Amino acid sequence: MSASSSSSVVAGRRDLRLPPPCPHLADYRSSAHGLAKRFRSLRRCLCVRPLGRPEIRRDPHEIPRCGPCSSSSAGGGGGKGPRLYACLACASVCCPAHAPAHAEEYRPGHEIAVDVDRAELFCCACRDQVYDAEFDKAVVLAQATAAANASASASCPRLESLRKRRRVDYRPWTADPGDWAAMRRGSSPLLFPDSDPSSIGAANTSSSSPSSLPWGLRGLNNLGNTCFMNSVLQALLHTPPFRNYFLSDRHNRFVCQQKGGKKKGANAGRRGGDCRKPSGGSSVCLACDLDTLCSAVFSGDRTPYSPAKFLYSWWHHASNLASYEQQDAHEFFISMLDGIHENLEQDQHKPQSQGYGDCCIAHKVFSGVLRSDVICTICGFTSTTYDPCLDFSLDLDSSRNSVNVPTAKSHGCNGENDLILSSQTCGVSTLMGCLERFTRPERLDSDQKFFCQHCKVRQESLKQMSIRKLPLVTCFHIKRFEHSSIKKMSRKVDCYLHFPFSLDMTPYLSSSVLRSRFGNRIFALDGDISDAATELASEFELFAVITHNGRLEAGHYITYLRPSNQWYRCDDAWITHVSENIVRASQAYMLFYVRKTLYYKARENASAS
Amino acid sequence: MAASNDGNSSPRSQLASRCFEDLLDSIIVDVASECHRIARLGLDRNLEEEEEELRLSVQARVADPSSSSEANGKNIVDIFGQTHPAIADEIFECMNCGRPIVAGRFAPHLEKCMGKGRKARKVTRSSTIARTRHSRGSPVSVYAPYSNATNTNRAPNGTTGGAGEEYADYTYGEP
Repeated sequence: MSASSSSSVVAGRRDLRLPPPCPHLADYRSSAHGLAKRFRSLRRCLCVRPLGRPEIRRDPHEIPRCGPCSSSSAGGGGGKGPRLYACLACASVCCPAHAPAHAEEYRPGHEIAVDVDRAELFCCACRDQVYDAEFDKAVVLAQATAAANASASASCPRLESLRKRRRVDYRPWTADPGDWAAMRRGSSPLLFPDSDPSSIGAANTSSSSPSSLPWGLRGLNNLGNTCFMNSVLQALLHTPPFRNYFLSDRHNRFVCQQKGGKKKGANAGRRGGDCRKPSGGSSVCLACDLDTLCSAVFSGDRTPYSPAKFLYSWWHHASNLASYEQQDAHEFFISMLDGIHENLEQDQHKPQSQGYGDCCIAHKVFSGVLRSDVICTICGFTSTTYDPCLDFSLDLDSSRNSVNVPTAKSHGCNGENDLILSSQTCGVSTLMGCLERFTRPERLDSDQKFFCQHCKVRQESLKQMSIRKLPLVTCFHIKRFEHSSIKKMSRKVDCYLHFPFSLDMTPYLSSSVLRSRFGNRIFALDGDISDAATELASEFELFAVITHNGRLEAGHYITYLRPSNQWYRCDDAWITHVSENIVRASQAYMLFYVRKTLYYKARENASAS
Repeated sequence: MAASNDGNSSPRSQLASRCFEDLLDSIIVDVASECHRIARLGLDRNLEEEEEELRLSVQARVADPSSSSEANGKNIVDIFGQTHPAIADEIFECMNCGRPIVAGRFAPHLEKCMGKGRKARKVTRSSTIARTRHSRGSPVSVYAPYSNATNTNRAPNGTTGGAGEEYADYTYGEP
């Protein structure tokens, strides 16, 4: 799919591009017929139904009929199918059988028509649907006007500041002699028995000699049913921005512990009197423990490490989860991020926006913003809310027997390809399928009618989720564990889920979902910064997979990591190299994807952080 | 217009059929028109890549149909050439009581040492709250249904109690 079009909106692989006009459309545009005037008069005839397609009607009660044969869109009269085209030049209406004749008879200038039921341009000479940005703009304006009469502006005070901080180019940092001296003074080389000093730094080959193995691979001892913790820690320690934060000394445990000692008094009474100051005088800080863990794992020492202090600190933080029993890895993950947030947020005195990750490294890395739209099915009034989220929990479609047929939403529908794809995906759940279901409009039950502020009564409504802002690292949690309080039982859903190694999140963004709601018209929606950078920012790469094997009551978590495109299995203390097939065939429970490209924003204040 | 038993020649059933066909045609044209636009404007997904991924996945599962390779024998040698016992035997000091503890038994020790565990916990899980929070049909909810872990998707592995366990309703500090 090349991006070489004459007037593309933006250069990029997956943006909305305008195909070059056919010669007839090009002629029409450049003719002296007054295109703008023509579209303006057309706009007057645009009737937009809420949640419906825009139509062209001169009169709201008009039933268009084909001039020559009198068939209407509803068929009948021997017409050739439910389409009617109104000529843009003379407004005469024809069915597909008679449209080419009309164009031929009155050429030039009568080739372009509009599908009266769908507001799509059609070239009768080329016999194909054609596209024009100005026409689309007119349609969208009509749709927006109709919607504006209904909906309030999507007010969300927390998100109003669209964080339009200026994007800056990355400037690589190089050390000056003073920096070099400081580094030499304050550091010591990492040497360990089986390494060759000259190969340090060139660690990314697939050779199996210990010195060329990736940094940071180190087993974690199971302290007694703690594989849920080990698996998440392995994934986090290899989450690039997270790892970099700690390796760059952004949270220095020595400094923090010193400060923590001073804050002993202040901590009392925080979180509902839950001051869990452990014996020994040191304050509990999960970030400090992560700092310790990071140092240990990247130290070059390859003997398995026991994250005992971390367990201890976490049990202080999440006392209700503190027990010898096996826990849920995802629950631990959320709990841990929450703990880090708490520990780090103490330093800030002004309210931070979690959605934009201003508060702590956990939110900066994992936090995204979800958009939720509730749409009245009667009048189209839309109520929008934004919420931050740390991850995406996706339902598995366990009742999957049907062929996976791509929907019209944002997929291609090539004839043959469709069939091949269908036969292969018959019955297989995919991550993208789950995401599609996640962002699909869902009709709410009639017992959950939403109060429409326009209609002033409770109406049946649709709900649709989409992603307003993608996090740096997207964590997907596959809901494999079902607890039914009715049946008083729990079960695990074991079915296989396919997940890609590279993932493009564009179709699930709010901008894409909104655009498809307006019929995928060529028009930049307000507030959406559509530039090439944003497009690339939706591409993600898989770097860690946490799998669960076994039954609900007796199972085991392991993590697969992918440093430099080689896969390693991290099973508590045992780190082994595996082929990517093993990973593809595994039963994913949590999936970690990192954004392929990072962007830097100018700092808000000039003071050094 | 239920199917009558008059056969195909009844004018009513003919009309009904024609109606249905027209509706169906109209829907098909809708979809065709939308797909045409999506394809022309370059909005369709890269199907080749997806097919390739699916093909690789199918291949991978054929190569390894059982997930037995996921289960790890504990006698294997890791990439650094090390072997480890099934129960970690490193010994360190408990940070709560100071006693030396074997790593593989640290968690049960810490549980008693810190006074945690089943005996100590008193809070019960409120399943109604969990169900409500987890339902997708709460349009005016402030919290997005996918933002935080809910109680209805946990894997209490290693428990002997099964579904009768008491779990605390863990709420996360939402500002």
